[in-house]
Amino acid sequence: MAHSASICRPERHTTSEGNTLTSLTKRALTGLALAGAASLVLAGCAAAPDASDSAVPEIDYLACAVSDEGSWNDKSFNQSVYEGLTKAQDELGVQINDAESASPDDFGPNLQAMIDASCDITIAVGFNLVDAVNAAAEANPDVNFVTVDGWSNGATNLKPIGYSMNQSSYLAGYLAAAQSSTKVVGTYGGMQIPAVTDFMTGYYYGAMAWGADNGETVKVVGWDPATETGDFIGDFVPNSGTSKSIAAAQIQAGADVLFPVGGDQFGAVSEAITEAGIDGRMIGVDKDIAASSPEYAEWILSSAEKRMTNAVYDIIKAIAVDGEAFNGDYYIGTLENGGTALSAITNYSGAQPQSELEAKLEELKAGIISGDINPLG
Amino acid sequence: MTTTPKAVKADARWSIAAKEIVSGGAFRAFLSVLLGFVVGALFMVGSNEEFLKALSYFTARPTDALTAGWGAIADGYAALFRGSIYNYNADNLVAALRPITETLRFAAPLIAAGLGVALAFRVGLFNIGASGQILFGALAATAVSTRVELPWGIHLVVAAVTAIIASAAYGALVGFLKARTGAHEVIVTIMLNYIAAGLLTFAFRQESLLRETGGGGTPKSDAPAETAQLPLLLGDSYMLHAGIVLALVAVVIYWWLMERSTIGYRFRMVGHNADAARTAGINVELTFVAAMAVSGAFVGLAAINQALGARAGLTPDIDGSIGFDAITVALLGSSTAPGVLLAGLLFGAFKAGAPSMQVIGLSPEVTGVVQGFIVLFIAAPPLIRAIFRLPAPQKTTVVADWWARLTRKKAAK
Repeated sequence: MAHSASICRPERHTTSEGNTLTSLTKRALTGLALAGAASLVLAGCAAAPDASDSAVPEIDYLACAVSDEGSWNDKSFNQSVYEGLTKAQDELGVQINDAESASPDDFGPNLQAMIDASCDITIAVGFNLVDAVNAAAEANPDVNFVTVDGWSNGATNLKPIGYSMNQSSYLAGYLAAAQSSTKVVGTYGGMQIPAVTDFMTGYYYGAMAWGADNGETVKVVGWDPATETGDFIGDFVPNSGTSKSIAAAQIQAGADVLFPVGGDQFGAVSEAITEAGIDGRMIGVDKDIAASSPEYAEWILSSAEKRMTNAVYDIIKAIAVDGEAFNGDYYIGTLENGGTALSAITNYSGAQPQSELEAKLEELKAGIISGDINPLG
Repeated sequence: MTTTPKAVKADARWSIAAKEIVSGGAFRAFLSVLLGFVVGALFMVGSNEEFLKALSYFTARPTDALTAGWGAIADGYAALFRGSIYNYNADNLVAALRPITETLRFAAPLIAAGLGVALAFRVGLFNIGASGQILFGALAATAVSTRVELPWGIHLVVAAVTAIIASAAYGALVGFLKARTGAHEVIVTIMLNYIAAGLLTFAFRQESLLRETGGGGTPKSDAPAETAQLPLLLGDSYMLHAGIVLALVAVVIYWWLMERSTIGYRFRMVGHNADAARTAGINVELTFVAAMAVSGAFVGLAAINQALGARAGLTPDIDGSIGFDAITVALLGSSTAPGVLLAGLLFGAFKAGAPSMQVIGLSPEVTGVVQGFIVLFIAAPPLIRAIFRLPAPQKTTVVADWWARLTRKKAAK
């Protein structure tokens, strides 16, 4: 091993004069340093690790998830669930399995793969999997399933997770109308399915409520809950050209606050805002986008959060750790139980003072929780 | 002919290359599959975290990296086997045999569409429009299966025949445009793919046309009526339906058509040399139209498989990647009936095995990479010769050489 020790002697790069270098040479030096580091790694010179003990003892529980079309790192819907799964792995010590679906053809086989892998619980993410997961639950009565945004056709081994997204979206709509200088706000969806239009309907009535409270006419483009017509991309492909053209058309129609409900559409909306040269804002969905995707933070007004990470984690914890029995009851995330919420407000520049608006939003939240305000009109 | 300009020679070079690509031998196909698996193995090793971690202390304890690397390959291909052929981890026989039925289910549309593309190849046409032909056929099949009421049996036959006619007509349109206007079939088929996708989405969106009863603005159709569904072959425990039977029948028909029938002879003649065929009195233009129609008809079987094999409502992406996978199937299968059958089964197995590979943490793209490399290896040798103007090697393979020597010796004795 003598020769390996000589290969493995680390080289030291001194960068004391780094401050005076131009950025170009700096970059070149960084490249060199990286190459040096890489060669160390490639030469295989690190010390061999000892058998390590993990922080959390593993427990005998296998939690699995199948994604909707799209990957686990979609910065939105699928990712929220996946983070719940990895959180359970890290903090509870459960085992996890996952499969991404590239097309609807994959839903059935992916669920079957989880059944074959003897998963204790399998989470089917998304409305589009509802047929497949109901079929799988009926065919495998002794396997437990969870459907996020779907429903159960009666199988007791299938637990639906749903969200009253209209509640936080109502607050988002109210906020959007307060922010807007044109008093035109826009929203559009990925697909016209209940899990999406629920956001848009709440947003619509929230914006209308601000108009009624302040005696101004507010217009919502992109969705009309009365006729159930509006703007939809047709899929959940992140930041597609269609998405951007819808955003641009809504800006053209006067909208200066947009609420895209279709996973990661924030790149498309921010581009449309920049290209139109307006002082526009967008409201995030599913996660606190300003925190999770800082590259969009400068346009984000707030986000209507759908806290799937917690729901998934809680369900796994209740069964795997607390020893509760699986049940097929609905879990509904609301403002009251914290399953949905409006994120902190950023970049607000409306005429109404922010503190006054925030107090009003708290009041509305309490009204929705008590049932005095119906976010669905 | 002594004054043949260089351009013509260059053309010949490319057409020779094209011909070699689509009619490569079985041995080369086998080697390409083998090489594809080797590349897939490298991909699996390279993306294995355990291996990369162990690599950083390779000199200190090399066995870790080697074990991890070998483990990644073994686990990966074992998962592919479990997912596509036989699940030896299953609790009961029904579950253990499910993978092979899934392979057959996924292979059926690939074989059917692969035959369609292969037929066009044999006539010297590149049918890149299988995707559009599937969508157009599925549109017609869905119209019959969800909007027409007919008794059991008859309903399925009518829906299936409608799909075949629709796909064949969509294919024939390409042949017609090529024959009458000289439009290149690659451009035409690609553009028709968009048109078919648009038409299907439009029909699935309109309530008065094919939109799901009670559905919203999302393009989706009703599930095909039970009378029009392809029957399950092995009972309720398996999703395998009669689509595979259609595909197998199609393989036999394709073989007879191309190797035994007069029209198949005419197809091949035009494919070998259109000018010679014309001189010999064959109506080349008409042959283009007929070939594209028959090609579309085979692809129509894939449409039947997708539209009538479904048990739930259809969405505009029912063609999946079948239209383009069919091209690779036809290439790997050397455009012959048994070749396409085997290639379709192989790629069907890849599709069926992908979920269990994901379960053990492998990226679902691995099989796609293997698939891509197989086709690359098939296409590369003649392509490279054409690009670098290398002469074709005189001894085609070492094996053939060795075989020739062996047989000569025997003959001498």
